[in-house]
Formats: sequence, structure tokens, C-alpha cells
Amino acid sequence: MSATLHAPAPRRTGIRRWTAGGWLRALWTTPLAFLLATGLVAGARAALGYEPLLAQQPYITTLMVMVPIGFLAGIGAFDYWARYVSGRPTIPDDHASHGAHSWKDYFKVNTDHKVIGTQYVVTTVVFFIVAGLLAMFMRAELAEPGMQYVDPQAYNGLFSVHASLMIFLFIIPAFAGLGNYVIPLMIGAPDMAFPRLNALSFWLLPIAGLMMLSSYFIGAFGAGWTNYAPLAVQQPDGNLMFQMGVQWAGASSIMTALNFLVTIITMRAPGMTFWRMPLLVWANFATSTLVVIATPFVAGSQFFILFDRVLHTNFFDPGGGGYVIAYQHIFWFYSHPAVYIMMLPGFGIVSEVISVFARKPIFGYRLMALSLMAILILGFSVWAHHMFVSGMADWLRVPMMVTTMVIAVPTGIKVFSWLATLWEGRIHFKTPMLFALGFVSMFVIGGLSGVYLGSVPIDIHVSDTYFVVAHIHYVLFGGSLFTIYAGFYYWFPKMTGRMYNETLGKIHFWLTFVGFNATFFPMHWIGTRGMPRRVADYDPMFGNWNMAISIASFALGASTLVFLYNMIVSWRRGEPAPSNPWRALTLEWQVSSPPPIFNFDEIPQVVGSPYEYGVRGARHAILNGKPVQEGREAAPMEETVP
Amino acid sequence: MIVIGLLAGIVTGGVAYFIPWLPDQASTQAEEIDGVYWFVAIICAVVFSLVAGVSIYAGWKFRAPADDMDDGSPIHGHTGLEIWWTAVPTVLVVAMSVWSAVALARAETLPDDPDEYTTIEVTAAQFAWSFTYPELERTDGELVLRVNEPVELILTANDVIHAFWVPEFRMKQDAVPGIETRTVITPTKEGSYDVICTELCGPGHPVMRAGVRVLSDADYEAWVAEGEQGAGEGGEGEADGESVFAEAGCGSCHTLADAGSEAEIGPDLDSVVPGQEEQQILTSIVDPNAEISEGYQPNVMPGDYEDRLSEAELDALVAYLVEVAGARR
Ligand code: HEC
Ligand SMILES: [Cu+2]
Repeated sequence: MSATLHAPAPRRTGIRRWTAGGWLRALWTTPLAFLLATGLVAGARAALGYEPLLAQQPYITTLMVMVPIGFLAGIGAFDYWARYVSGRPTIPDDHASHGAHSWKDYFKVNTDHKVIGTQYVVTTVVFFIVAGLLAMFMRAELAEPGMQYVDPQAYNGLFSVHASLMIFLFIIPAFAGLGNYVIPLMIGAPDMAFPRLNALSFWLLPIAGLMMLSSYFIGAFGAGWTNYAPLAVQQPDGNLMFQMGVQWAGASSIMTALNFLVTIITMRAPGMTFWRMPLLVWANFATSTLVVIATPFVAGSQFFILFDRVLHTNFFDPGGGGYVIAYQHIFWFYSHPAVYIMMLPGFGIVSEVISVFARKPIFGYRLMALSLMAILILGFSVWAHHMFVSGMADWLRVPMMVTTMVIAVPTGIKVFSWLATLWEGRIHFKTPMLFALGFVSMFVIGGLSGVYLGSVPIDIHVSDTYFVVAHIHYVLFGGSLFTIYAGFYYWFPKMTGRMYNETLGKIHFWLTFVGFNATFFPMHWIGTRGMPRRVADYDPMFGNWNMAISIASFALGASTLVFLYNMIVSWRRGEPAPSNPWRALTLEWQVSSPPPIFNFDEIPQVVGSPYEYGVRGARHAILNGKPVQEGREAAPMEETVP
Repeated sequence: MIVIGLLAGIVTGGVAYFIPWLPDQASTQAEEIDGVYWFVAIICAVVFSLVAGVSIYAGWKFRAPADDMDDGSPIHGHTGLEIWWTAVPTVLVVAMSVWSAVALARAETLPDDPDEYTTIEVTAAQFAWSFTYPELERTDGELVLRVNEPVELILTANDVIHAFWVPEFRMKQDAVPGIETRTVITPTKEGSYDVICTELCGPGHPVMRAGVRVLSDADYEAWVAEGEQGAGEGGEGEADGESVFAEAGCGSCHTLADAGSEAEIGPDLDSVVPGQEEQQILTSIVDPNAEISEGYQPNVMPGDYEDRLSEAELDALVAYLVEVAGARR
């Protein structure tokens, strides 16, 4: 694919093929870890005289810890550090694990942020499809009142796994993947600050995802992605897979976030001050801060449940002096900020896209950046709005209502500024722009229904009904997913070196936009009228609406096929992409598509704002001796790499 | 642009007006909550119309031909506008918060004089509700209220979290194991409603419902008298199958004519119990999963009656079922 600066690693032969880091070694280290875990549990329990030797809960927990470590060690995620820690000479980095020379390199531990970004994006899309299929099963069951295809516990498993995969294995890491690819390029850095940590954080993801999915084999967890105690403690053992899956996915997001923070703080090109950073970089900075502070709380909440189950502690068992509502406080102290973890990067993407396709500077750049920071800070003071009817301390409700509503102010600033950016622009309705504009209108609906839910009296009525289901889908589908689609289309030429098919892109947008609204808008109504959420069966008076919603949701599901077809076919056979098809000013567009292996042949010198469209003589950066200004003049059609 | 804005406004207004968004209003709390609901709805409709209007207008007015290579006007911001769109939402947000806080306080206020309201204890368990009326010394699977009399509900749960919700009353409150939670309802309209569990509580969650009846003064007195009579018949100390049936909440899932219950979540006891051995009935109650009646789901009927009911109570319950099941009144 990209230019080769370093030869691929020499092929290993004979026994060395089995001892060098890679899939062959993982083939024996993974079962080895399995055996070790089995021996450990059986040995410890035999020594203590417990029966049976391989009690399911401790056994599964130990496996979920050790098998992934065996696998990661096998594919070589720890090799460099292992040598370093054990005092052996480290292998001087020959960059053999850097960059992709063939498709096979995407299946190996790779330290190039562009390869990792692609690995992230493709993996998350796979989980997106799986989670989407689960939603299709749910809609099939819900099409008519009564039970048709699954029993209630299986249905509970469907929506629990659907939500967990969408949140932990799709939205959060999809943003991390896009960020991985473009952030170093945007700030003029050759890579992320910690490339090996970056590789490790990717490989934790498929582990977490497979864990959550395979819970189906031992009884899927059916307490929702919120996994409230004490219901979680009653669930089949698949619940352990959720708890451990969250640990691995959480560890992955914390590592990536730290990596982003250090990269953004220390690796900006000369001249790239904070006030010259593209808004996506700002957004990632804010998001990463949220992740680092909040994620340990969800990890903790799941560990407590795990301990209650496996070690018989009483964190949430009132019988043993536990306090049930404590779980919700800890959980939402992460999971509310998580809403912004799933939203802020999208704000960043949309700011890039709208500015480029409206050919205008982003309106109120500084206020846009500051409002991100305001959301970040306020985001930590509103978690209890998920608990207005939970029976928590009464006095907390009104203050948390006020902070919740106040978040509408910085969010409003962003929406109005995007609209003002359109004003007097020269708007090109390419697919990324359609998704960005679709996002603005859908997100406004999600934000406004959030104001409803923020008001305590209204929330008392609609909380835990389909109104909430509608709200979260307007925020996470109409919001996050639309921005992810915008980002996929926008950077597709950069990542693959090929153009996607514009007509198919537009078809995809319109199908998604219409299907989405037809699916989720009526849910506001059936919720307010009295249909609770998370039910496999419901009052027959909602039968017609649910049938209509299910039909719309199948159309929505089908629209994804257009997207997949476009992505796959264009990646293989699309027209070669020029380095800067959108005439954008930010740095990632000033290098070839895909970029050279170390991004920039020469470190760029940043001299101005990244959004100076229409400003005569303004420049963002000087690269290879050429000024990057006014997209049009600076867009070189020739590749920058020999 | 004004035209588009107005159109969007009219459409959203029409949608709001002609579709019955909210369920019937059957409590004073519902009046308070609906007031806030429509206040917020109007503000939201205006904001949405504005955003939709501006984006559609801008998209149409400023669209560029495909081969256009020009840039838009280099506008970087406008301090005046930015101050406005920070200040106006702040004012709106404060207004909505104040109205909400006032409505909340009014909805939850009880009269100072304890004689002017009743207290009912609500116990939720997988997957049934039971209601205890301390003043009447009575427990039932059904919530019976006197119209226009405020009630304070004290809720708790035996196993996992459940939530009490009657859409027509608008009020919702989680029932949490280990603690007592509280909500207030003043029913204003006679009629029958449903208590709906809205907190995921396991496989029986979708069917966890109970009936609510709001009665006129006269009907309420009659209901109270009927209960006192029933208690008198049973005699003190001795377990009485009929009241065990009511207190254990069997009636919220099963039909049994003698107990006046018509629920359809579990099998109709009037048709299945006649002809069964006592032992068989007992097993069905203490170990419901031992044998699942055809057409029904496992794990729906609570599995802990053996712990919750004494041996005497269980025997009385079984005897009662054998005696009355099938005897249609
Ligand atoms: C949450 C709803 C629920 C409650 C409360 C409940 N049941 Fe059931 N019951 C069911 C369901 C569903 C079945 C059918 C599945 C099964 O056999 O377990 C059932 C089955 C039965 C059967 C067996 C019927 C047959 O086909 O032979 C009997 C007897 C019974 N219940 C009695 C009771 C009694 C007595 C109580 C009160 C102590 C009670 N149930 C409380 C839901 C409930
Ligand atoms: Cu929240």
C-alpha cells in the first residue's frame, strides 16, 4: 500500500516460526493459558477442600483473565516490554512492525497509528453489524404482541448484548479508531506518542467483544447494559462475561485516551498552538480527559458485582448490609460522561466536515473549543438525572436537574455555530456533509428530548419507557452514528487511497435518514402513552405502532447493506483518490492518500488557523517548502511520495 | 426563511395538538406534570423549528454548483450573536428548571394533617405486587383508592429493583430491596388502571402488572366493609386460604372466580386446578419450575413461596384452592 521505507521482517523458518510473536505462537500460548487457569482453580480449590473443583463462577472468571493474556503474549503484544522488564537487551526497533505491506499485516501486532486506526475501524464495523442484527431479532419479536420467536430471558439477552456491543465495541472505539488515524496527521506528528501501547489497546477490543458475544453459550446476560444490582447477581453466568468484557474494553479505552492526551500535548508540530488545533483535536482532547477520569468507575462497578457473585461480598446485597442504589451512583458517574465520550468526537468530526463543505471558517472557533471544555466539566455533575425515580436522596434531584439543563447552553452554542457556519457559505452536498447536516437536526431532537428527561416531573412520568429508548437512539444513532458515518466517508479517500461511490453514499444517507426517523420517532409517543422499555411483550394497544416500527427498522437495517457494499467495492476498485479531494486545509490532506509510512517527509511548520477558507493569503502551515493555504491553490494533484 | 419556520412551527404544533400524547389525566400530580410537559414542549418546538428552518433555508440558498471552486464569505464569528444565543437559552433553561422544581414540590406535598391522607405499603417481588393497607389491616394484590383522597405509598422490594408506575397518575417510583421509597398520589378520576413495572426485573418483567381501582366514597366504604367481613370469617390466628391467596399476590397473575381475580399471566386456576391432587398443587406453588404448564414460560411465577409462606399457610392455601377452584359464582 504505502511507500516502503523499511523492508518487511525476514520470514522465519522452522521452530522459530512457533516461538516468534504471531498467530502461530498464540496457537499454543492461548491453550497453555487455558490449562494454567484450569490448574490454578482446581489446585487452589483442592487445597482448600472445596467442591466442585471447577466451580463455574471462579473458573470462568479466571479464564477470562488468563486466556486473553495468553493470547496477547502469543501474538507478541508484550514482546518488547518483556525483554525490557527481564533485563534482556531489547531488539533495536527496525520498524518491521510498522506500516502495512500487505493485507496480512492488518492481522498482526502493528505499531503504525494508521494501520491501528484501520484495524479499529474495521473491527468496530464488524461488531456494529453483529449488534445491528441482534436489534433486528428484537424488532422481529416486538412486531406483534405476545411471544413469537424467543422467550423473555432470551429477549433480555438480545437487548443487553445489543447495547453493550454498540456502546463498548462500536461507538466508543470507532471514534478512537478514526482519531487514531487522523489525529497524529492533523497535528503534524509522525505517530502516536506510545505506538506499542497503541497496538496493545487495539488487541484488547476483539477480546472484549468476543467475550460479550460468547456469553450466549453459557446464558446471555439479561440485565441490560446497565447491569443493575441485584438483578445482575441473579443472572446466568454469561453476566461474568459482560463484567470481564467491560474490563478489557475499558482498559483499551483508558490506554488509548492516555495515548491521545500525551500525543496532543507533546507532539504538536512547531507552531501548532492550542488555538490553532482543528476542532477534532480539541474534541479528542476533551474526550480523552473524560475517559481517563470516568472509565475506572464503570470498571469498579462491574468488579463489585463480580465480587458479589463470585466472592460473596455484599456490596449491593441488602441482606448483608449492602446498599443497592450505590451501584447506580458509581455506574452513572461513568455512564453519563460516557454519553459525552460518545458525542464529543462526533462534534469534532462535524466541525471539520461542515467547515470544509461550506467553504467557510468555522463560526466562533474559540467558543466552539471552550464549549467542549464546558461540557466536559458539567458532564461530571449530572449523573443522578438517570436516577430521579431510583429512591436516591431526594434533595439531589433539583440541583442535578439544573446542571443537566445548563448543559443545553454550551450544546446550543455548538449547534447555532454550525448553522452560522453554513450562512453565506458555498455548500457542497457530498455524503459526509449530508450526514453532518442530518446529525445536526437529529441531534437537536435528541438534545431537546434530553431537556424533557432532565426536568424531574416529566422524567418521573417518562423514565424507563420507550420515550427513553427514542431519546438514546436520537442521541447515539442520529447523533454519534451519523457523525461516525460522516467521518467514514470523509476520511475514506485518505485511509484507503480510493474514492467511494458518491451516488451510493447519497442513497445510503437518505435510506438511513428516513428509516431512522420512521423507526425511532414513534417511540416517543408509545413511551409517553404507557409502554415501558425492556419488555419482550406489551399491551396489544401498541400492536400497530410496533408493527410499523419493526417494518421501518428492517428498512433501516437494509440501508446498512448499501454502506457495506460501497465501502468494500470502493476499497478494492474505487477510483484512486487524490491527496486532497475535498480541498481541505488541515494537515492530513496535505500528504498523499494514503499517507507515507511516517506521515511527513519533513515536519510541517504551522503558521495559522486550520479553517481560513475564503481568506486571501491566509495559511495554515508550510509543508515541504509549500504554503498550505486556500485549499484550492494548495491542493496538489500529484502524490507527495515517490 | 420565516415561511419555512412558520410551516415547521405549524406542523409541530398540529402534531402536538391533534395526537393524544399523554394518557388520561387521573390525578392532581398528572395536572402538575402535564403543565410542565406542555411548557417544555412549546419551547422545544420553537427551538426545533428555528434550527430546521435555518438549515433548510441555508441549504437551499447557499448551495454551490458541483464544479464551483469558490469559497464562502470568511466570517469568523459575531460577538453580538454569540452573546444572544448564550443568553436566551440560559433564560429558557432557568425558566424550565424553576417551573419543574415548583411542580415537583407541589406534586409531592401531602396535607399536614395525617387524617387527611392514607398510607399504603407496596411490596414488589418477582413478578407480582402486593398492597398492604395498615389502617384496614388488610393485604391485597390490587391497589384500591378513594377518589380525591391523597395517598402516600411506601414502597419496598423483596428481591430485585422494581418500579411502580401508573401512566394515568404520571407518578413513578422504584421499589428497592433494603430500603423504603415513597411517592404521593391524589387520584381524581374513578376508574380502573394498571400498575406497570418499569424497572427490568427478570423474565417476568413484561407481565408484572397489578390492577388499580379508584372508587367513589360509597364504593370505597363497601370495599372496606367487604374486607372486614372476610377477615371476621377466617378467625384469629388460624391461617385462612383466601387471605393467603390475596396477600401472596396470586390474584395478580391467576384467574380465580372465588377471589374475584381475572388476571391472565398464569393459567386460569378455575379450569386447571379441579381434578388435581393436593400434592400436585403444592408442588406447583413451591417449585413452579418443576413442571411448566403448557403455553407458559418458566421463571415467571415466583419461586420463593416456600420461604415466604409458613407450612400452615401453604396447607390452607392448597385446601382453599381445592375447595373453591372451578366453582364459578
Ligand atoms: C408473577 C405471576 C404469578 C404469580 C404471582 C403466581 N403465579 Fe402461579 N403461575 C404463573 C405462571 C406463569 C404459571 C405457569 C408456569 C408454571 O407452571 O410455572 C403458574 C402456574 C401455577 C400453577 C400450576 C397450574 C397448572 O397448570 O397446573 C398453580 C397451581 C399456581 N400457579 C398457583 C399459584 C398460587 C397459589 C400463587 C400465589 C401463592 C401463584 N400461583 C402466584 C404465574 C404466577
Ligand atoms: Cu446522562
